[in-house]
Amino acid sequence: MSAEAPRESDPTTTPHQSKAGHASAPQTIEVKMAAGDLAPWDLDTRFRVVKGREPRLEGPAKVTGRARYTLDVNQPGMLWAKMVRASVPAAAILKLDTSKAEALPGVKAVWTTEARIVRFAGQDLAAIAAASLEIAEDAARLVVVEYDERPFVTDLDHAMDVGAPLVYAADEAPGPKGVPRSGNVLGPMPPRRGGSRGDIEKGFAEAEVTVEGTYSVAVHTHASLEPHCVVAKWDGDDLTVWASTQGVFTVREGLAEALGIERTRITVITEHMGGGFGSKLAPSAAGSAFAVVACKLAKQAGAPVKLSLDRREEHLCTGNAPSARMTVRLGAKRDGTLTAMHHRAFGSAGIAGGAGSGGPIAALYTGCPHLKVEEHDVFTNAGPAAPLRAPGHPQGAFALESAMDELAEKLGIDPLELRRKNESHPVRKIQYDAGAQAIGWERRNKKAGDTPGVRRRGIGMANGNWYVFARDRGVGAEVKIHRDGGIELFSGAQDIGGGFRTAMAMVAAEELGVKPSDIVVRVGNTRYPEGPGSGGSTTTNSVAPAVRLAAHEARQKLFDLAAGLLKAKPEALDATGGRIFVIASPSRSITIRQAAARMPGETIACVGERKPQFEIYRGDLAGTQFAEVEVDIETGEVRIVKMVSVNDCGLPVNRLTAESQVIGAMIQGASWALLENRILDRNFGTMVNPNLESYKILAPADMFEVVPILTEVANLGNNTSTAGLGEPPIVPTLAAIANAIYNASGARVRSLPITPDKVLAALAEARRRA
Amino acid sequence: MPPSRDGEEASGVSRRTFLKTAGAGAAASSLLGAAPPGQPPRILGPDAVTLDFKVNGVLRSVSVEPRVTLLRALRNQLDLTGAKEVCDRGGCGACTVLLDGEPVCSCLMLAVDAAGHEITTVEGLGTPEKLSPLQAAFVECDALQCGFCTPGFVVAGTAFLRQNPNPSLAEVKHGLSGNLCRCGTYPRIFEAVQKAAKAPAKGAKRG
Repeated sequence: MSAEAPRESDPTTTPHQSKAGHASAPQTIEVKMAAGDLAPWDLDTRFRVVKGREPRLEGPAKVTGRARYTLDVNQPGMLWAKMVRASVPAAAILKLDTSKAEALPGVKAVWTTEARIVRFAGQDLAAIAAASLEIAEDAARLVVVEYDERPFVTDLDHAMDVGAPLVYAADEAPGPKGVPRSGNVLGPMPPRRGGSRGDIEKGFAEAEVTVEGTYSVAVHTHASLEPHCVVAKWDGDDLTVWASTQGVFTVREGLAEALGIERTRITVITEHMGGGFGSKLAPSAAGSAFAVVACKLAKQAGAPVKLSLDRREEHLCTGNAPSARMTVRLGAKRDGTLTAMHHRAFGSAGIAGGAGSGGPIAALYTGCPHLKVEEHDVFTNAGPAAPLRAPGHPQGAFALESAMDELAEKLGIDPLELRRKNESHPVRKIQYDAGAQAIGWERRNKKAGDTPGVRRRGIGMANGNWYVFARDRGVGAEVKIHRDGGIELFSGAQDIGGGFRTAMAMVAAEELGVKPSDIVVRVGNTRYPEGPGSGGSTTTNSVAPAVRLAAHEARQKLFDLAAGLLKAKPEALDATGGRIFVIASPSRSITIRQAAARMPGETIACVGERKPQFEIYRGDLAGTQFAEVEVDIETGEVRIVKMVSVNDCGLPVNRLTAESQVIGAMIQGASWALLENRILDRNFGTMVNPNLESYKILAPADMFEVVPILTEVANLGNNTSTAGLGEPPIVPTLAAIANAIYNASGARVRSLPITPDKVLAALAEARRRA
Repeated sequence: MPPSRDGEEASGVSRRTFLKTAGAGAAASSLLGAAPPGQPPRILGPDAVTLDFKVNGVLRSVSVEPRVTLLRALRNQLDLTGAKEVCDRGGCGACTVLLDGEPVCSCLMLAVDAAGHEITTVEGLGTPEKLSPLQAAFVECDALQCGFCTPGFVVAGTAFLRQNPNPSLAEVKHGLSGNLCRCGTYPRIFEAVQKAAKAPAKGAKRG
């Protein structure tokens, strides 16, 4: 935890004593709120709604198929569009002929790229809008492309070779300026937060034991079930876009810029969103300008256009989690005290940058005095990466936490004890006990693989980290009370499946003394108050404080109306169960509806504006995970038996949906650890498995027992003490499973996904060494 | 790279279109009854044909090309968008509907093959005001996050419970193994299915 001074830009501040931290070790801290902000919810706050378990408000619409996702939006006279993509990984485009496509009856508009160079198989080339999807697909097949094919490289190792084909000429590569570049390799990158510290040579000189391993992770694609999709509709100069996006405002701003029109002309709507995991943070997508293209086609055709990518395109051009090859070296004293940590990594984000994986080593075990992080991006002729659920962190934690296990083995120390010994985060210290108890840590094999039979069980664990990010400027929310007692809540931010809509209703309901279901929540629309893109685990903690302020003001105004009827001062009132009552005499009460009927106009509208983070008490988000697996030592098959995730998310608003996110992160991580692998054909440069039957994701039959544990921490970062949760629980998963496999079988697999062949090879290696 | 790839695409007939059209031909013959001996089967298309089928208890008529899948006919012609197009090749179950009570991947079936049959989509199992027991259990157990796979799971789960009204956890996992969820909601889906199995029928349709 760090104590920081309030920002100088804060106008005036009000000091307030608050009880911070975890209930087992509370700290009283003076918080200085910005003018107009409320004192933060803390450990002493008694909640009526918040921290409860509220089924999501849109549940009935979703389970009956009534919820309209972007893919489900149909407009009168709407055309259907299909894109044409490069079928080769590197080429100059000699000819792009759409004349046959244009001549096909039913085709209404055609777009072609201005680009003349192809850098990955899947790049945008052309698009067709037609009267039906089938006609658009037919027309797309009539587009003739002639290429001058060029040498290419699709795998990380070969891309690093001297003389490998260059993905970018020297002056064309993306990425920060002034970074050393050699061939396709860019780096080391400038230090990230936490960076390097001390003197790594000194640290290893002080070490009594060292371990070193190289760990690699394959490319994982987001594989969101709803594809990237927009419906674009022009009405004169005004443009309405339904978008499957994690950021309606990002889409609005990106389209305004690309189309050269003002933001005021554009409305972006995302009522329901079918999964993004980071791939839907761009105005269009990481490797496709499809949303801009749809708007252009709609303009050209004079009709609304729906443009959805198909499953193959989802894998090729909408982003992925970069591959990584990480060499981690750790030095420690015989008692386990870390003296040095070194992370040297190369990763490929395809044609994009951003393949760093040093986040966890820079943020965990901060007591270790000597740390060096060297990150390199390697360009390959493959679709660009996009943020994916804690970008770079699951990869980095896989390397670091596998290495920690190897260090524990070499030292002869229990892996959990080694972590405890080096732990500097007060919350994770609490989490170790909760997790160890839930998994039954004492049941693990004292010696790896030392258990009879063919199917051997074992237990492992790993740590992860994430940060408290929030957008604390320019975020708003509006609460409207209608004369008939109806309550509406507006936030422009979108609900991507994390339960944002319901959580915001709970925050407003807490202030207003009603049930969350009494509130009509309207989200995902650029006409509503500004909200953040849903990335970095920021949506709840960026918007909830503004919702609380708006609802609090509406409460005050209702109390002013009720005061006359109840013959009491407004400050003597409270509200619960839809009634406003006198605190000293609860039987004196009226309904909110009765109070609302007294309003002078037809509505009371209150807008709350997010105030700056308090920056008084704050820690990174701690997390730890435990896994139990069963390894068949004859077939190499791994079955996960149970996983426990212990996570800090500040104060959880809705435990039900918060737990769902934790469960989901473990499952996506498990899928990454054991199954997922984007395979590019080395000879053709195209993806071999761009589908959902050979790009495997975890299915019902693979499922295991899951235990989500939330460690509540009043972090006082904002007036609701909320923090993020979407990303952190996937960070430790890959390593926890790898470590459990080792404990079960003695197979140390340093390459993901952990497929049966790798387990058998590692078992053979272990036997050779024994 | 062999130049034939673009050449094949440029021919206007992809392998998939060919298979679908061939399928439509075969479907048409079965739809119209076996051709009399010695006569060739009747071929439908390529132009749109009018088909009738019962959807959620109502007789509906659609005009589609024979190559159009049942899923696209439901979504794009009848505006029944509950069933989702996710993988479009039977790998994920998001498009599951009931055909005469049996779960099918509607992306793998041509609309012409469904003519004359009774189709139930997720919209036909309950309404937001009157949820089926399984739908209610999904909401209560938070057996959904983004919800895009949910209609497929609800339909598959409904069919499964009709077949096995009191399943074990292992049976539920097996019974739903044709459906994928990317948000990782499986444990709560299993919980919802088992909860609905135990719920009293209350006169509503089972499941």
